[in-house]
Amino acid sequence: MTGATALRARPRTGGSAPGVRKRRGVLGRVPVLVWVFLAVPLAVELFWVFWPAFNSFSLSFTSWKGVGPAQPVGFANYERLFADPVFMTALRNNAIWVVGFGGLSVAGGLALAVALNRPGRGISIYRSAIYLPMVVSLAVTGLLWRVMYQPDGPIDAGLGVLGLDAWSRQWLADPDTALYAVLIAAVWRQVGYIMVLYLAGLKGVDPSLEEAAAVDGANAWQRFWRVVMPQLRGVNTVIFAVTVIDSLRTFDIVWAMTRGGPYNMTQLLSTYMFQQGFTLVNLGYGSAIAVVIFVLAVAFIITYLVRQSREEA
Amino acid sequence: MSTSSTGLSRRRFLVGAASIGAVPLLASCVGSGSDAGTPAGGATTLTLQSSIQDTGPKAALQEVVAAYTGQQTTLNSVATEQFRAQLSTYLSSSTPPDVLAWYAGSVANSYAQQGLLLDVSDLWGPGGACANFSPALRALSTSSDGKAIFVPTSYYWWSIFYKKSAFAQWGIEPPTTWDGFIALCDQLKARGIHPLTNGIGSTAWMTSGWFDYLNLRINGATYHRELLAGKHSFEDKQVADVLDQYRRLIPYFHPNQTSWDAQQAVTPMVNNEAAMYLVGAFCTQYFPKEQQDDLDFFSVPTINPGVPTAEEAPTDGFFAAAGSKNPQGAKDLLSYLASAKAQQTYIQKSGSSNMPTSPEVDTTTFSPLVQKGIALLNSTQEITQFFNRDSSDALQATADAALTKFLANPADIPAAQREWQAAAKQVFTS
Amino acid sequence: MSVINRPRPAWFHVIMVPFTLLWLAPIVFVVFVAVRSFDDIAARGLGALPASFSLEGLVTAFAGGRLGAALVNSAIVTVFAVIASLALAAVAAFALSRFRIPFRRTILLVMLAGNLLPPQILLIPVSRITQSLGIYDTLFAVIVVQVGFGLGFYTFVLHGFMRSLPAEVFEATVLDGAGAGRTFWSIVLPLCRPALAALAALATTWIFNDLIWAMTVLRTETKFPVTAALLNLQGGFSSAWNVIASGSLVAAIPTAIVFFVFQKQFVSGLLVGSNK
Repeated sequence: MTGATALRARPRTGGSAPGVRKRRGVLGRVPVLVWVFLAVPLAVELFWVFWPAFNSFSLSFTSWKGVGPAQPVGFANYERLFADPVFMTALRNNAIWVVGFGGLSVAGGLALAVALNRPGRGISIYRSAIYLPMVVSLAVTGLLWRVMYQPDGPIDAGLGVLGLDAWSRQWLADPDTALYAVLIAAVWRQVGYIMVLYLAGLKGVDPSLEEAAAVDGANAWQRFWRVVMPQLRGVNTVIFAVTVIDSLRTFDIVWAMTRGGPYNMTQLLSTYMFQQGFTLVNLGYGSAIAVVIFVLAVAFIITYLVRQSREEA
Repeated sequence: MSTSSTGLSRRRFLVGAASIGAVPLLASCVGSGSDAGTPAGGATTLTLQSSIQDTGPKAALQEVVAAYTGQQTTLNSVATEQFRAQLSTYLSSSTPPDVLAWYAGSVANSYAQQGLLLDVSDLWGPGGACANFSPALRALSTSSDGKAIFVPTSYYWWSIFYKKSAFAQWGIEPPTTWDGFIALCDQLKARGIHPLTNGIGSTAWMTSGWFDYLNLRINGATYHRELLAGKHSFEDKQVADVLDQYRRLIPYFHPNQTSWDAQQAVTPMVNNEAAMYLVGAFCTQYFPKEQQDDLDFFSVPTINPGVPTAEEAPTDGFFAAAGSKNPQGAKDLLSYLASAKAQQTYIQKSGSSNMPTSPEVDTTTFSPLVQKGIALLNSTQEITQFFNRDSSDALQATADAALTKFLANPADIPAAQREWQAAAKQVFTS
Repeated sequence: MSVINRPRPAWFHVIMVPFTLLWLAPIVFVVFVAVRSFDDIAARGLGALPASFSLEGLVTAFAGGRLGAALVNSAIVTVFAVIASLALAAVAAFALSRFRIPFRRTILLVMLAGNLLPPQILLIPVSRITQSLGIYDTLFAVIVVQVGFGLGFYTFVLHGFMRSLPAEVFEATVLDGAGAGRTFWSIVLPLCRPALAALAALATTWIFNDLIWAMTVLRTETKFPVTAALLNLQGGFSSAWNVIASGSLVAAIPTAIVFFVFQKQFVSGLLVGSNK
């Protein structure tokens, strides 16, 4: 790090600071300015995120068509959820999505980061190519892949060249393949992002530890899991959070590619929420689905953070 | 940093409202719109919010609006989905768009009941722009409390479209009976031509075209309307009969129909790989210019001679927001849009084979196709609109799921009906 | 040469070259589609290699989709939203990471939790709130909403980074009111530059690519960012794949440029700090 040099370059202002010095330099008295530093961003987020969310959550106990007064209905929306076959499909698809999207992009991103960590000939080209998709918006990614999956499109043409015509199908219209076809497109875009995060993490890994393990006779596989992985814990937390958030919020790409079809087979919670809330303007019911999404996300994150802080302690 | 300080003051501003309680809260956000800045420009400009997406009609509307000599009018074309999702926001906004392009039916009616649509009864009164429109259009444009809330400006018909040159090349004629139609499909299929095309991918509602017509031909318009209004069950024997006929058609559709939308579905017809397409007359604009005059159509043949003839003719038009800051200007713009001149320009420029609602439009200059469409609708006994317009978007969603699933797995009709009815019941009871 | 720094075996490239090409295939194919003429696509199908070169798709996309003006709107929103978000996130992260603020960990997690909300749930209230504030249908509204919605994540990342800075940096300074401001400005911010650069690049791609907020608070076509313009374009040209492809590429190029300019920071700077 360049921190130390930067510090030395600065003139010291006054004597040594009084107050408590914890390991991480947390200081005692909190100046007013610091309170302002915290209060302003917090207020912005409270106002633009939590306040509307609170409004919406309260809507989940009502039946509301977007205009006029909302009718309070108690827990009726939630009861309806569990009798709704489309909601159940969406829930199941979301489970597949979290595992498939999260698992594949983390595994792919980690593998590529390890493979491309050390500099070498062509490495920066590989890296750029792999994270290029990440700059493309999800909606545009959906479009790109819709072209790929079109009947007689590149994928079918490619299969034809390989003599595998029998494999070609209506990728996005076949209920057996549609969800996975969208999943692949989403993973394609996400892998580069995860790879970048892991590359950053690997930079902070102490090579001497791995070296020592190698001297002790550990093979590459063992070194990776026993020596490198534990040092990536911080990065893993961020990646876990990003992955859970992204997989529960996935919306644009499914909407762009299938709109939840054919016959709701690729519906995710977020797309079903959008359909109910906005296409059909059942805002109460849509809000109830959103509450479920939020609760699931928070449950995932809290479980992980609790488990992790226990490990740290 | 200006965002942050305003963020604080705004927070304080809404905290007062917060004490009222959870749901009225939101209403209070809306209600407090009065302390918003004054609407720019006041009451001397107009905004027309349009959801028209197809390029031809979109350009035609731009041209019509540009030729408007009244107050300065801004035309906003937004994606249909965005429009649909934002419609309630538009209308209940403190500064709503003055005029909106949408269609008559349950959606307009429910907004009218909330008092969000401008009463345009004077346009329908003597001397008004819509005074001479047909009684059917008048009924369609009147809300349940008797106020006129809609200004229809064009409508179109549904039929089975085909290319004359292709039929000539294949040596076939449009069929006149249902059995003849099925025989024609068999004949085409045997020759390696896909008899029917459709686009039910991202436009799953296209599956309802055939459902509506089969229901109209087998059970009649009265039953169809009652079914869509929730007065019959989708588990009825009548619906089973419809699905039974629908099942006969499945092998004739182009297998790629599930990947296409309504617009892409014309591609195999352009290339003479598919023969016929049951679709609204808007489809003509999707064909290359040089093929548009080659198009012709025939009505879905009679199946049950015991029911009255019926055709689908969806009507498009405009309504105005009750909250418009410029209601007089909005009505003036609506009158202009309803005028014979504006309708004529719109129809001729859009290339989408629409028909005028104003009886004063000189239709003799229209293409033979449109003339034939007018004749078709004049001769039919019953007119319906389309599944969603005769029912609701929510019921349409159940039809989309039920019919696309049925087309993929047609074996078990009773199961399909059960599932559809269960979903429809949710719509009618919620 | 140490055991973990062996040069890569030859088969590494044998695998990576085809893999990379396959990886880029969707983008390459869309470029192909974008430069083909409509007739060529209609006649020979989407999967065929280009037999024609035509910019008609691009021209139609610009003319029919108002993409030029939309790109300007996107740029305005992105620049202001990125700067404001990072400024606010940086001060919040500074306060939370360096001072004994009660419940600081809870506050941080609550801020992050804001990012877990599905944005769809906020749409209706947000559009009502912007209306009641009189900023509905302005680019300013898009900017503040973006700032509010992104803050949690940026603060979380910067907090991790600042926490990992060596404590001696802070011990040396008097942290009275003015001192805190000076420390932040002249010590913490410069040290955070790599993290800020990485986040800026990331935030740029997110904000530039946003569609849903723009759809929610804008209704005037001339104010639409490029993503909303593209949605509009798709509705009108769904069978003209060359137009759609051209529009998609135009919408992706600005973020691609930002990405390659900041490429170094992306990899080296996203040293999220929490790996300490």
